[in-house]
Amino acid sequence: MVKVGIPRALLYYQYYPMWKTFFEELGAEVVVSPPTTQATLSAGSSRVVADTCLPVKIFCGHVLALVDKCDYIFIPALRSVKSKIYNCSKFLGLPDMTRAVIPECPPILDIDIDINKGKRRLYQAIYVLGRHLSRSPLKVRKAALAAWQAHREYKELMVNESLAPPQAIAGVTAEKHSTPNQASIALVGHPYLLYDELINHRLTHRLEQAGYRVLTPEMLTAEQLETAITRLTGQPYWTYEEEVVGSGGHYLESGVEGAIGVIAFGCGPDSLMMDMVQRQAIRLKTTPFMSLTLEEHSAEAGVVTRLEAFLDMIQRKKRRGAEVCV
Amino acid sequence: MRIGVPHMGNLHIPLRALLERLELDFVIPPVNNRRTLSLGVRYSPEGMCIPFKLTLGNLIEAAELGADTMLMPAGSGICRLGYYAKTQEQVLHSLGYDAEIISVGVSQRKLLGLLEAIKRLSNNASWFKIISAFRFGLAKLNVLDTIERAVQKVRPVERIKGTANQLFAQAVSATEQADDYKSLKRVQKDYLEQLSLAERDESAEPLVVGIIGEFYVLLEPFSNMDVEKELGRLGVEVRRSIFTSEWTKFSLFLNPLGVNEKDRLHKAAMPYLKRDIGGEGWESVGEKVLHAKDYDGLVHLAPFTCMPEIVAQNIMPSTKENIPVLTILCDEQLGKPGMLTRLEAFVDLLKHRRRARVKV
Repeated sequence: MVKVGIPRALLYYQYYPMWKTFFEELGAEVVVSPPTTQATLSAGSSRVVADTCLPVKIFCGHVLALVDKCDYIFIPALRSVKSKIYNCSKFLGLPDMTRAVIPECPPILDIDIDINKGKRRLYQAIYVLGRHLSRSPLKVRKAALAAWQAHREYKELMVNESLAPPQAIAGVTAEKHSTPNQASIALVGHPYLLYDELINHRLTHRLEQAGYRVLTPEMLTAEQLETAITRLTGQPYWTYEEEVVGSGGHYLESGVEGAIGVIAFGCGPDSLMMDMVQRQAIRLKTTPFMSLTLEEHSAEAGVVTRLEAFLDMIQRKKRRGAEVCV
Repeated sequence: MRIGVPHMGNLHIPLRALLERLELDFVIPPVNNRRTLSLGVRYSPEGMCIPFKLTLGNLIEAAELGADTMLMPAGSGICRLGYYAKTQEQVLHSLGYDAEIISVGVSQRKLLGLLEAIKRLSNNASWFKIISAFRFGLAKLNVLDTIERAVQKVRPVERIKGTANQLFAQAVSATEQADDYKSLKRVQKDYLEQLSLAERDESAEPLVVGIIGEFYVLLEPFSNMDVEKELGRLGVEVRRSIFTSEWTKFSLFLNPLGVNEKDRLHKAAMPYLKRDIGGEGWESVGEKVLHAKDYDGLVHLAPFTCMPEIVAQNIMPSTKENIPVLTILCDEQLGKPGMLTRLEAFVDLLKHRRRARVKV
């Protein structure tokens, strides 16, 4: 059976069920790289130039983990999924860059996803991708439809059950551990930062240990995200703006105890988007907001200290009912 | 309404001509200096790139001089630049300036976008007036770039170091003062003649280094620490494919008609990078492939954290075509002595390489 490798990084968290369904429908076996470890990161960062951002370094580490384990690696160049809204250059150049820095990589299945070029081009791209595995256009069409269905179910599952992507992927049915009145903290940022426990030093786990319920962007509906973006910046500009500006804007006014913005050092789009959220937090002065910048060298102790200080501040605010400083 | 504009190289000269001819109230902030940079750095989000910081500094300085309507390029699908205006407007507001930023959509609307923005600003001046002012601005731009090209040739071979730079500085101010086509033409002729008369070392065979990379740091000498002048001082002839006049000519007039000067570069980059990644990433890879044979080396300039250029930087070492590349990341932490050391080492390497090649 043909094996298709999918790196557990970047877009994995958004699209894995869709990709898995597509390739399995076409009779391939899907291989996912193991969760990130320090070794993944070191292997990845030894291949790319120093100022490449942390998520991309980790991505390369995951690709290296898949070399020899599969016949193809699936790396799409996701250019645009909504009209006139484009993605970061690193996503656009991802297949080419991987090929350049990891020459021993198995053949890369790359397709251009660009909604601006019209539906026809999108269908063509999907067909070209499917051809690697099946000659029959009908079979590819069927697989694509099944994949789309899987994707919609995945998204709905996360919204309805308030699940985070790793739980939804693992098929965990919501253990209703949260009491309705439990205080909650919102995490704002891209899924590849929020759910990769190595990158964020088990942030979710730490917050849950402290007794908070953790809310993430995936738990919001598309309408909620869009309304928040319109309120903050007007027309969205980046492909995943809703994950940052949308969820940030929404959670700051949703009565959570606090919000934490998580960004990777050197991230181009986030440097601007998180700034928008931070400015909104300063304007509103209702919800405590902390922005946490992560990189290869950020030590666990540093993150823990800042987190403790932030939680202390929330407690103090609760006691005094005072105005917030951001 | 008072208009303010950001700087990029000598672009303020044609802009001044344009705005003057339209009889608009405007300010040109001081040219980029330490204060501009520190203002920009202080009020920018942490991870931003140097073009953002410097243009923000310019806008703040323009606002200090009373400007309330700023012109900034924008558009979609072109790296972070398209988002600059949104954030810069918020920074200006938070500093207490009631300024509006008019974003000029250069990426989609091309010439029309620019002309429409001018029309709006000029209180519906007649199209005749707008177009003649625009034409005069372009003429100045062309004169400046023609002289700069000649300067790049003279710098490495002049007997008295600094002659070309001095002449260029004079030419810039003469161009700024010229106020009709006739005197503009005379300025161009005069300075080209003076440059050709500058005493040269005829026996020198200067190394040829191409300067590639991100648009803004290429064209704004303040942000790249005068890398071209320094290379010239080291006896290296600099070739740069991006000039403001070329860029305006193609992106405003010829691209909409289907002529694309970059096709050659894109085709060259194809085996290594198959798609446009925003900014100048695709072109940078293409230039490396294309010029590997005819240049001695390449200096690749990019702002720190520039997304497209990082991708290009990752891809460049893997090309079959082999040519030394020195990547210099520009930001407020770039120190001149450090950069000079790297340039000198790079030039030494190129000299050795050429000598070795001649022997073979």
